[in-house]
Amino acid sequence: MSDYKVLAGPEAFLPPSAASMGIVLPDPGEAHIEGTIVPEEGAYEHCAKKILEAKVPTIFPGPLVLWKWNDHVAEKAAAIKELADEAPMRLIPMADYRPKYPKIEYEVEINPNHPNLTIWHNKIDACIFVGVHCHQANLALKIIRGGTNCYTMAMCAQAGHEDACMSFRDASAEKIKKLTEAVKKLKSQGVKSQAIEFTQFKMDRNGLVASAAVIEEYENAR
Amino acid sequence: MSKEKIQLCDEFADIMPPEYQELVENATYGKQDRGWKDIGSSKELIEQHSLCAGCPESIAFRYILASLPAPEDTVFVGSTGCTSLVFPHVAVQNIHSLFGNQNAIASGLKRTLKARFPDVEKDVVVLAGDGATVDIGLDMTMQSWFRQEKFTTICFDNELYANTGGQESGLMQKGFVAKMAPKGKSFDKVRLAEIAREAGCAYVAMLTVSKPNRVEEAIKNAVYVAREIGPTFVQLYTPCILEIGKQSMEGLDEMKDSETIGGRFVQKEFVTEEAQKLIDSIKAETKVRKKAAKEAAKAAKVG
Amino acid sequence: MNKPVSTEKRIIASQHVKLGQQNAKGQTYTDVNDIFYNSEQKPVFFTGSEVIKEAIRRSSVGTSVAYPITPQSEAAALIGELYAEGYLDEYFRGESEFAVMGQCAGAAFGGHRVFTTTAGPGTLRAMENFPMWAGSRLPIQVCVTCRGVNSPLSIQPDTLEMHYLLETGMLVWHAETAQDLFDFILKGFIVAEQPDVHVPIATCCDGFFVTHTKDTVQLPSEDLCLTPYDPYKSPVTVMDMESAPIRMMRDPFVMKSNYISYATHASWQQEVHAAVERSRKHTIALLGGLIDEINADREILIVSSGTAVSQSREAIRLLEQEGIKVGLVKIKTIRPFPTEEIRQVTKNAKHIFVPEFNVAGWLAREIKAIIPDNDRVYVGPHVAGGMTMPSEVIRDEIKQHLGMKVDTLASRG
Repeated sequence: MSDYKVLAGPEAFLPPSAASMGIVLPDPGEAHIEGTIVPEEGAYEHCAKKILEAKVPTIFPGPLVLWKWNDHVAEKAAAIKELADEAPMRLIPMADYRPKYPKIEYEVEINPNHPNLTIWHNKIDACIFVGVHCHQANLALKIIRGGTNCYTMAMCAQAGHEDACMSFRDASAEKIKKLTEAVKKLKSQGVKSQAIEFTQFKMDRNGLVASAAVIEEYENAR
Repeated sequence: MSKEKIQLCDEFADIMPPEYQELVENATYGKQDRGWKDIGSSKELIEQHSLCAGCPESIAFRYILASLPAPEDTVFVGSTGCTSLVFPHVAVQNIHSLFGNQNAIASGLKRTLKARFPDVEKDVVVLAGDGATVDIGLDMTMQSWFRQEKFTTICFDNELYANTGGQESGLMQKGFVAKMAPKGKSFDKVRLAEIAREAGCAYVAMLTVSKPNRVEEAIKNAVYVAREIGPTFVQLYTPCILEIGKQSMEGLDEMKDSETIGGRFVQKEFVTEEAQKLIDSIKAETKVRKKAAKEAAKAAKVG
Repeated sequence: MNKPVSTEKRIIASQHVKLGQQNAKGQTYTDVNDIFYNSEQKPVFFTGSEVIKEAIRRSSVGTSVAYPITPQSEAAALIGELYAEGYLDEYFRGESEFAVMGQCAGAAFGGHRVFTTTAGPGTLRAMENFPMWAGSRLPIQVCVTCRGVNSPLSIQPDTLEMHYLLETGMLVWHAETAQDLFDFILKGFIVAEQPDVHVPIATCCDGFFVTHTKDTVQLPSEDLCLTPYDPYKSPVTVMDMESAPIRMMRDPFVMKSNYISYATHASWQQEVHAAVERSRKHTIALLGGLIDEINADREILIVSSGTAVSQSREAIRLLEQEGIKVGLVKIKTIRPFPTEEIRQVTKNAKHIFVPEFNVAGWLAREIKAIIPDNDRVYVGPHVAGGMTMPSEVIRDEIKQHLGMKVDTLASRG
């Protein structure tokens, strides 16, 4: 049995993949928390707790939910937005996977080739990946674990991610809604969101849509 | 993917980067008569590139992307070279595999797309440099033509291997001095256009990219003919200004010099009878359609 | 492992929308578990090449590309016959193995299930494509009918070429018999195409010994076929301009992507290795384990793969007649290598023999690298270049190593 645990980093200059350390993915009906297989039901509360405990909880939606490329996506996108509004969590898109030059705009995007720039700059301590192709998600998750202390969570439509600190599998709009319910339940039990107050950035064709509050916030952060 | 599907989810449209919002609103996917004249007023399909300032490949690439009949249903196959640094930023799905195997990849890809989508015209376009096309990839390039694979091959001919520092290639001129040819190339520029004709291409064009309307016409012809008739080949002179010791602004003149009378890049076309018939019929159709649209627009204004 | 994987479990059942429907040939798309464990199996007496054809007949393959090289030409041509009868969407002859593997890649990028075959010099001619397939996460299946590698040329069986495949990032399975080959081909598609795996697979068999000899093989009905490959249940974007993102290059030079670009590249390589690791769970469920063992608690063990296992079975019977008790471990997957399984199963062994059809002894090297007290491993016996490995040779080398007197067998050539 492997002693390895998939914990928030920073782990190493080049961390090993969790799979090579003996971590096995969950089966349908299961999830994994830090490398331990658990029944899926139990994972919602854990995930909700991590969201509410975090100072900068963030959802990273990927191309598979950003683009309306089939009929089911709209449902998923709505469920994600609901979760973001409820918790609350910031939204930073992974618009595509290309290596951008000279650098990405890390306040407003994340990219699998250097995801830690976004994590570091925004001081993200907990995040959820959703709608990202598994290959690129795995790259990003491992790089984040190697170089940052962010707690990563994956809401995966396929088999899950052992390089994330925790992962669901067979994700659907229903599961995302279940997660939102878990957040609501914890709140009703008195758990308060620790998230630092924020204004979700907005973009239009000219760039960042800045209200005075947002401009001030960004200027302070620089 | 039909143009209608290239949409952002409502919940996330306002957090997407501006260039993606622009792509959705202002790119010319699905526009029937898209062409080089859209450049400047519409969102281009290259987002950024790191090629040298004034590189003729970069302008050729932009003309090609503006001229594709259906970018929303086109897949590119590239090869290792300077264009590989542009392809990640192109809003048309594309494949980079191994140096020289682009026509093999395209053969498998085109057949699969045809089998999976029998009712949709999926265009496959190869875009590779001269080294990839005429040296390391020559057998796969020619064999795809022998087999009559229905896709377009575009060769960016800068007469050497530019991305690796300027080594001699088969398309380099005889006597030219370059790396690995310190005493000057000992054999003639390979007559690739003629080889393409003999190998079975239904439409072959060789030209520089000094005149965008000619590039547009060649690309459109090549794609339309490849859809119905057989393989097509377009050889574009895109000189590497760096390796031939020119300045950023001198690329255009270099191309113009090479296409003057007697020059090696005087435009030429080899078109089979069948291909010519198709090209003529498409031209006629387009003319009729445009005229009708003009008259309808006039009538609407008056009405 | 964080969770021991049971061999009683079946692989996760297919969720494909076409499950239960019929294809154009009247075959019913059937879950792989049902094909093997819930349907009638009938015996046939076929050559390995014919068995490859029967496997592909039932595999719902989209594209196959062929090229002649001994000893896989027969199989490749028989697949062509299947294409002519309508069992495949696309099939053609390519111009070299390097080209064929590129044509296969193109078909896989476009979303087809792809199968091809090669051997020896063809494998080496194609070699640059294999790590490209793996890095691009293309679940292509290549059946490698192992034969000698030049120079000098030998068309005869030799497993040296398998050693070249070990670091390509492909799954590498080694069939002992034609039955194995049939099973591995169908099951190989299912494992390779799992979204958490999704890497190419080389199903290897020993040329001529398996391809050209006839053997009894149990086959499920030809009215059953695998559920189709779903290119949207993939960890990467299929190149058909039907799914997001459309600004997508498979695959960009991540080395140019920014200040940690080389770490990104290294992480990509690690992800391919991880994919191979992830296949263990699915392979154990479908193959009933990465190894088979008979009396592995004995002090003398033979550990091998491929037809060397068949010869070893007979050698063990001969030794048994002389009162020498030997156990057998058959390795089915070389990649992923059954590290834990081999460590466990060789615990009691004082002498571990590794017969191989190659002069390098690469399998012995793999075993020695992962077990304690690896002096227990006797590297051999070896034959190569097409030599047979008579069971008597295995028997006598074992006896000799144990200090018993044997007559030298003249070379059988």
